Amino acid sequence: MIEHSPKPPEALMRAIARDLRPVKPSPQPLRLALRMAPVALLVSSVILLAIGPRHDSALLGPVLTWGASAAQFALAIALVWIAAHEGMPAGRLPVRIVYFAAIAASLVVVFVALLTFSISPASEPLLRVPPWINEKLRTSPWIMGFGCGVGSTIAGGLLVLLFSRIFRNSLAARPTVAGALYGAGAGLAINAGWRVACPVSTPWHSLGAHGAAIVATVILGALIGRFLGNRRLHMGDALSWPR
Amino acid sequence: MSEGDQELRGLMVRYQGGSLEAFQEIYARLAPSVRRYLSHLANNSEIADDLLQETFFQMHRSRAAYNRAYAVRPWVFGLARNVFLMNRRAARQWAKLHESREELPELAVLPEADRLGSRDEIRRCIADLPPVQAEALLLRHEWGFSFEEIAGMVGITAAAARARASRGMADLRVALNNLQSAQAARSGSHGANKPADLSPARESVVRKLLKRARA
Repeated sequence: MIEHSPKPPEALMRAIARDLRPVKPSPQPLRLALRMAPVALLVSSVILLAIGPRHDSALLGPVLTWGASAAQFALAIALVWIAAHEGMPAGRLPVRIVYFAAIAASLVVVFVALLTFSISPASEPLLRVPPWINEKLRTSPWIMGFGCGVGSTIAGGLLVLLFSRIFRNSLAARPTVAGALYGAGAGLAINAGWRVACPVSTPWHSLGAHGAAIVATVILGALIGRFLGNRRLHMGDALSWPR
Repeated sequence: MSEGDQELRGLMVRYQGGSLEAFQEIYARLAPSVRRYLSHLANNSEIADDLLQETFFQMHRSRAAYNRAYAVRPWVFGLARNVFLMNRRAARQWAKLHESREELPELAVLPEADRLGSRDEIRRCIADLPPVQAEALLLRHEWGFSFEEIAGMVGITAAAARARASRGMADLRVALNNLQSAQAARSGSHGANKPADLSPARESVVRKLLKRARA
């Protein structure tokens, strides 16, 4: 057992003296989350810039087209904010808020998908592409589902990687939960842009393809969070603290 | 913000700027109380020693995560709690993987080997409390954190932190009263035998806690 003097033990001092470069204090959770918003907005808008807004946006109206996406995007930033809090040793939010945000995010996605379908039940993948591609997509709707699922998973995955880089020094007690939260934020942010561009509004497509992409980013975030947490946990092992 | 807290914040900023002396000062000020907290969480002083070093190592690795807007003590205590929870989780997983190896210890239930002789009634009573209540009670009354700070460390609401601490205090009061009644009955049955197992220092601790419990 070490002597309980207020002087740091040798091994710890050596480890600390090895790396004493000045560091820049990280911003508070809200500022951190807001800092990520422009990048998330850019990545989620790529598909919209590439193929333009859906053909039935006039029928849906600005509230359901842009308003619903803005709400999803705001919720995505809120999830990242909660993840940032989760990584703060003395700033954790009550578990109830974490569960509430996760449930709210799921409900918003399902509600917006069903509402969109009820107002404009578009099942024809009408894109601004050559007619033969539209014809192919019409006869094989799974291609559209696959494209949306894989495309939004890749875009969401990029955001998850960016978020995990920013959160790499997070001190979360539950790194898997923190990772899942920013993964959900990334997935939701991408879906906010993707749903404005995607011309298909059938529930199986919206929830099966777009929803699956959100689930995939949640899993990816959780896995990365877990990996980073485990790596942090075993960092001290090599130092073999003296007793 | 207290003067001590302001000084600690200043030290953290200097430490983030690369000052080894500032780290040593932070360690000197916080290590003893953080170690006691870890000792309570792990219920084992050797593990607490390791976790203490792990806590300060993690603090160093993630020193950039500190922002001057936060009070330092709750931040470091919260970090110590995270380090304890992560190590316990890892130990449990490891234990699950190697269930057949009987020599593997369950960290959370290991007795404090070097303290067996001096474990007093208060500690026993606190140890008998539900862990979440005992933790809230100690964070509040032993280390003087506000309910908001406890809430941030534990991940609950301030109202829940208050409820846990007061429930813990009520249970402690009952346990201490029972213990005193038992002691009185014992001393009565042994004639004029004074309960001599209480040293003056321990007696003072018992009195203080009883006073708080009765308040």
